[in-house]
Amino acid sequence: MSEQKKTFVVTRFDPDKDEKPRQQSYEVPVQPDWKVLDALNFIKDELDGSLSHRWSCRMAVCGSCGMMVNGKPSLTCKDALSNYGDRVEVTPLANFPVVRDLVVEMDGFMEKLKSVKPWIIVAKERAVEEGTYRQSPEELEYFKQFSMCINCMLCYSACPVVGNEPEFLGPAAIALGHRYNMDTRDEGAAERNEIFRGEGTVFACSYANECSEVCPKHVDPAAAVNQSKINAVIDWATSFVVPRGGK
Amino acid sequence: MARAANPHAMSPSRPGRTRTAPPQMPAQFPTQGRYLTYTLFGSTGILYLLCGFGALRAVWILGEHSPSAWQAFQREYATAPLIALHVVCFAAVIFVGVRFFSLFPKAQPAKIGPAKPPPRAILHAGLYVAWIAVSGGLALIMAGGIF
Repeated sequence: MSEQKKTFVVTRFDPDKDEKPRQQSYEVPVQPDWKVLDALNFIKDELDGSLSHRWSCRMAVCGSCGMMVNGKPSLTCKDALSNYGDRVEVTPLANFPVVRDLVVEMDGFMEKLKSVKPWIIVAKERAVEEGTYRQSPEELEYFKQFSMCINCMLCYSACPVVGNEPEFLGPAAIALGHRYNMDTRDEGAAERNEIFRGEGTVFACSYANECSEVCPKHVDPAAAVNQSKINAVIDWATSFVVPRGGK
Repeated sequence: MARAANPHAMSPSRPGRTRTAPPQMPAQFPTQGRYLTYTLFGSTGILYLLCGFGALRAVWILGEHSPSAWQAFQREYATAPLIALHVVCFAAVIFVGVRFFSLFPKAQPAKIGPAKPPPRAILHAGLYVAWIAVSGGLALIMAGGIF
């Protein structure tokens, strides 16, 4: 295969040495079928072993390798280098504190995910003898799209609200909460809707729709957030007319 | 060059042991790429504010309850700045309407009780039909065609 050289301008930040992030350039001989991640791995393996970046599966499943490529959030294992010119700028995900080079702090994201109670909540656990929880294919379709999220955090780096309002739950966490609210086996929608009605949650979203544009798995978090707004209001209104929210 | 984000954006509730570099906003925010549309959408708030002042001004002028007040009101609204404002407002209403119509179908819950919303395409088309019908009705009323 023919070989071409591209210049990679990569953000570097060593918390022990650098006051603030800086940029470093690398000339990389790239192959036509390479993804952006292949070039970063080449830099790490052949040019500069001190470069830090996250990656794992290389097949757009694990969500580890999200970065900004030429200013746009990108899952680098899925993003073909042929989409870019001779100069490719790779920076850490926007809206996240940077731990080192292209590695961002994920703990804040994990806290937000956990806060929506992303698990099936049932009022009373069913005994094993009572059999499995059944769900029809049609019921699965209600939430399947929202369960495809791989937590790559691209939606957070694209969202202008995330960068301006630290308390905002953010697209992926709300989509995850919505996914469980839509699950017919779950009985925790009232609990989650109470969270969603709180400060900095679904109503902080002003519909930039960037989360859905950059999602590599077509989850459409903007739809989840805005459906959650309506569900949270319906749930709130229902609580006035139906005892115990109809439970 | 990206702008700085809120320094606490996506920070954990308990800071980690490692010093971190502060978060940056997306490089294209707020005036490049698709963010421009979002920024323009947000900027329409300024027009709502101006229209609010316009409405207050109208109430002020019409407060005299006289034919001369009505004529004064009409004269003021025929001035170039107010005509320009209304042209911009008209464009903004169409822009916001189209944006809202694109969001509305996908914002519908998958179901409310046993009821399911119609397909998105039908909802989308229905919104435009309703918009045209209401606008046409209002135009007829204002032109004296009905009532």
